[in-house]
Amino acid sequence: MNESMLCTKTHEYVLEQDNKYEIGITDYAIEQLGDIVFIELPDVNSKFSKNEAFATIESVKAASEIYMPISGTVVEVNEEIVNSPELMNDENYENKWFIKITSDADQVEFADLLDYSDYLEEIK
Amino acid sequence: MTKQTFLHDKHVALGARMVDFAGWEMPVQYSSIIEEHKTVRESVGIFDVSHMGEVIVSGEDALPFLNKLVPQDITKLVNLKAVYCQLTNKKGGIIDDLIIYKLEDKKYLIIANASRIDDDLNWMVRNKCGFEVSIINESHNYSLLALQGPKACELLKSLGVENLPPFFHIKRAELFNINVWISRTGYTGEDGVEILIRNEFSEYLWDKLLDAGKQYGIKPIGLGARDTLRLEAALHLYGNDLDEETTPIEAGLSWSVSKDKTEEYNGKSVIEKQLREGITKKLIGFKMLDKSIARHGYDIYFEGTKIGSVTSGGVSPMRGDNIGMGYIKNLDKLAVGSTIQILIREKLHDAEIVKRPFVEKKNKNNI
Repeated sequence: MNESMLCTKTHEYVLEQDNKYEIGITDYAIEQLGDIVFIELPDVNSKFSKNEAFATIESVKAASEIYMPISGTVVEVNEEIVNSPELMNDENYENKWFIKITSDADQVEFADLLDYSDYLEEIK
Repeated sequence: MTKQTFLHDKHVALGARMVDFAGWEMPVQYSSIIEEHKTVRESVGIFDVSHMGEVIVSGEDALPFLNKLVPQDITKLVNLKAVYCQLTNKKGGIIDDLIIYKLEDKKYLIIANASRIDDDLNWMVRNKCGFEVSIINESHNYSLLALQGPKACELLKSLGVENLPPFFHIKRAELFNINVWISRTGYTGEDGVEILIRNEFSEYLWDKLLDAGKQYGIKPIGLGARDTLRLEAALHLYGNDLDEETTPIEAGLSWSVSKDKTEEYNGKSVIEKQLREGITKKLIGFKMLDKSIARHGYDIYFEGTKIGSVTSGGVSPMRGDNIGMGYIKNLDKLAVGSTIQILIREKLHDAEIVKRPFVEKKNKNNI
C-alpha cells in the first residue's frame, strides 16, 4: 500500500496520481472479505458524489457496497479485476485499484479522510 | 452471551475467523472458504459442529411419541439406523429438520439445529401429554466432529475402525481408546462420518484426527465452506430454506414423508392434502446465466411478475458458476430448463431452473 494514500473508515482509499485520483479498497478490507468472487464497477463517464455507492464487491459470504471517498467522474475502470475477481486474493498481483476519476473535490471533502498511518491505527 | 464449543481455543490457535452463529462463537473460515470447500470434495475435512443439539428420547412410549412428531414412519426404523425427518407443526410447517437415530429399543437420539433446539424441546414437551417418555437435552454434554470427503473413511480405517456403518447408520466404536458413536452422515454430499463424543474428549480427538489425517491432506473446515458444500448438494438450511410456514412437500422433501403411515402426526391432514391435490409454492434450484450472485432474500421474477424469492444462493466452487434455491409459485409452465430472473441491486438477471443437487452426491451407496 502506498503511504500517501488517504483512507475512509469504511476501508476505501484514494490516491492522487497525475491530476487523477485512483480509488480502491485497502489490503485490510481485502483480507477481511476473504475469497472475492465478483466485482461490479461503474461505466466510464459516470459521475458520483462523495459517499455514494459506486461499486459492489462480493465475497463467498456476502455482497458489500463500495463508497466514493470523494466526488468525481470515472475516467478509467479496472476491467481486469472485473473479469478475474480472484486476482484480488493473489498476493503477487498489484493492480487492485477499482477506478480512476477526475475530481473537483475541495478541502471539505478531504477533511474526514485518514492518513494511511492513522487508518492503520483505526483498524488495530 | 455467546456460547463456545470445547474446541474454541483450537480454532483460534489455527487462525480461524470466529463469528456468531445461532448464539455460538464458531469458526467461519480458517484459510479460504473456496480452498476448504475443495479440500472436502477432493480429500478430507474436519468440522467442529458441536453447536448442534443432541436430545435423547426414551421410555415405554418413545416410538409412538416420535411418530406423532414427524411425517416419517419411525416404526420402520431398526436399531442403529438413522432417518432424516422434520418436526412439523399442526399446519404441516417445519419447526426443525432432524436426524433421528434408533440407538436401541425405546431409546432414540435426535440431532437438531443449534438455532432451533429450544423451540424443538418446547414443542416436544407440549406434545408429551399422554406418553410415558423422557426427553433429555444432552447438548451441553456432547461434542460433534464431522469428517467429510472421499478420504474420510480411509482415514478412519487406518485408525483401526473396522466395518464402518453403512450410509445413515450409526455404531459404537473405539477411536484412540475413546468410546465414540460413529454415524455415516454429513451435510456436504460427500461420503463421511459424524463422530459424537463426550465434551471432555473433544480436544484430544480433534488433535489426533488432524494429526492422523495429515497423510490424506486433512484441513479444518469452517461454517463458510459448510454452507457452500451443503448448497452444492442442495441440502436445506433451516431458517433459509425451511421455516414454520413451509411444509416438507413444498420444500421438495416428500421423499422423507412416509406415504403409508397409518399413525396420526402433527400436520398430517395438510401434508396428505398437498400430496393428493398439489402445492401452490415449490422449491426450485437455479443457476445464474451471468456472473452475478443470487443471495438469500432476493426476489424471483418471471415474465415481469414477482413469483417468489431466493432462500439460499452463492457460488459453486466445483461448477464454477453461481447457484441458488428459492420458492416460487407452482406455475405449470415453469420446469427444469425454464428461464427466470433474479432481482439483484435493482436489475433483473437471467437464471435457469436446474435439477437438484447441483453436484453429484457421493454418499448414497457406500457400505
